[in-house]
Amino acid sequence: MWEIGWPSPLATSLLETLSDAELVEACKRGNLRAFERLYELHASRMKSLAYHLLESRPDAEDAVQETFLKIHKAMGGFHGNSSLSTWIYRILLNCCYDALRKRKRLAEDPAPAQHFRTESKAPLKIALERAIALLNERQRTVFLMFEVEGLKHSEIAGILEVPEGTSRAWLFEAKCQLKRLLTEEGQ
Amino acid sequence: MKFECGDLERALANPDLMPEAREHTKTCAACRQQLRLWTEISNSARELHQDWDTPQLWPRILQNLQAEQQARKTNHWQDWRLWSAVAAALLITVGSLFMWRRPLEPAPIAKTHVPAVATTADQDFLTEQALIEVEKTEAAYRKSIDQLAHLAEPKLENTASADSVNTREKLLMLDGAIADTRSNVASNRFNLHLQNTLADLYREKQKTLKDLLTSEQKN
Repeated sequence: MWEIGWPSPLATSLLETLSDAELVEACKRGNLRAFERLYELHASRMKSLAYHLLESRPDAEDAVQETFLKIHKAMGGFHGNSSLSTWIYRILLNCCYDALRKRKRLAEDPAPAQHFRTESKAPLKIALERAIALLNERQRTVFLMFEVEGLKHSEIAGILEVPEGTSRAWLFEAKCQLKRLLTEEGQ
Repeated sequence: MKFECGDLERALANPDLMPEAREHTKTCAACRQQLRLWTEISNSARELHQDWDTPQLWPRILQNLQAEQQARKTNHWQDWRLWSAVAAALLITVGSLFMWRRPLEPAPIAKTHVPAVATTADQDFLTEQALIEVEKTEAAYRKSIDQLAHLAEPKLENTASADSVNTREKLLMLDGAIADTRSNVASNRFNLHLQNTLADLYREKQKTLKDLLTSEQKN
C-alpha cells in the first residue's frame, strides 16, 4: 500500500484523485495531508453554515476547528454507513448546537428578534438574514443547508437522520415562516 | 375549482397547482406579491453563502491534530509499558503457581485424562511437560498390560470355547485399534482427545485380560 508523504506535490495531486473511501483510509492511517484535503473540500461550506447558525465568524471558525478535531478522533470508527460529507456535516451541526447551548447557558445570546424589528425597509438580503435567525432550529438548519449551501434533500435527510419527505416539509415550513416574517416587516 | 387567495400556500407546496396560482396572480396583486416574495427568498438565499479568507484556520487545526497524534503516541507508549509490566507480573504469578501446584508423581493415566496444566482455552492440546508425563505413564501401562497378556496367552491358545474365541477376537481388534491410535498420536502428540482414546483402549484391553484370567481361575 502506498503512503502519501508530507508535503510533496505528487502526493498532493494524488490526494486530489482519491475517492471518499480512499481518503477515509488515508485519514485512518493518520495522514494529515488527507485531513487537509478534507478541509479543502468542505471547509468553505462548513464555515458558511456554521456562520449562519452561530451568527459570528470567529465562532464559526471555532466550530469548524472543533469539527475537524472530532473527525480526527472518530475517524477510526467511521465505517462508511453514511457518506463522508453527511458524516462531517452531522458532526459540524452538533458542534454548532453545542456552542449555541453553551451560549444560552452563559446568557450571552443576543436577541435576534430585536435586531430584526429595529430596521424596517432593509434590503431583502439583510431582512432575510435576520428573518432566518427567527426560525426554529430545524427550519433554519434545513433552509440554510438547502437554499443557502445548496445541499440536496437526500443529503440533508442523511445529515439530520430524517426521511427525505420530512426535509422537504421542514423547508416548506421554513419558507412559509420567512414569507410571513418578511411580509410583516415590509408593512 | 375556483382558485382563491387562501389556496396560494397549498399551491406553493404542490407544483401541480402552480399554473392555476399563476393565472390567479394575474388579477390579484396581493398573491402576486406573495408569489414573487416566495421566489425571491430562494434567489436571495443563494447570495447569503458566506466566504471569507481564513489563512490561520488550517494551520491552527493542523497544530491541534499534530498535538493530538503526539499525545496518542505517548499514550500508546505508556499503554505498551503498562501492559508489558502486567504481562510480566502475570507470567511470574502463573509460573510460580504452576511450580507450586505441580504433582511430584505423574497421575495414573487410568484416573486422570486431562493433565493439570491444560487450560480451558487449549484443552485439546497438552503442554510439553504434561505430554512427557503422559508418554511415561503410557509406556509403564503398556508394559504392565503386555505382562497381563503374556499371562493370559496360554489360556487363549489352548482353549476352544466360544468365550475364548470371542475374547481372542476382541483382543485382536483392540490391538489393531491401539496400533492405529498410537500411529495417530505419533503424528499429533499434543492432541488430548487421541491420548484419551488410547488410554480408553488400554483400559478395555486390561479389563478384557483381567476378566479372562479371573474366569479361568473360577473355572
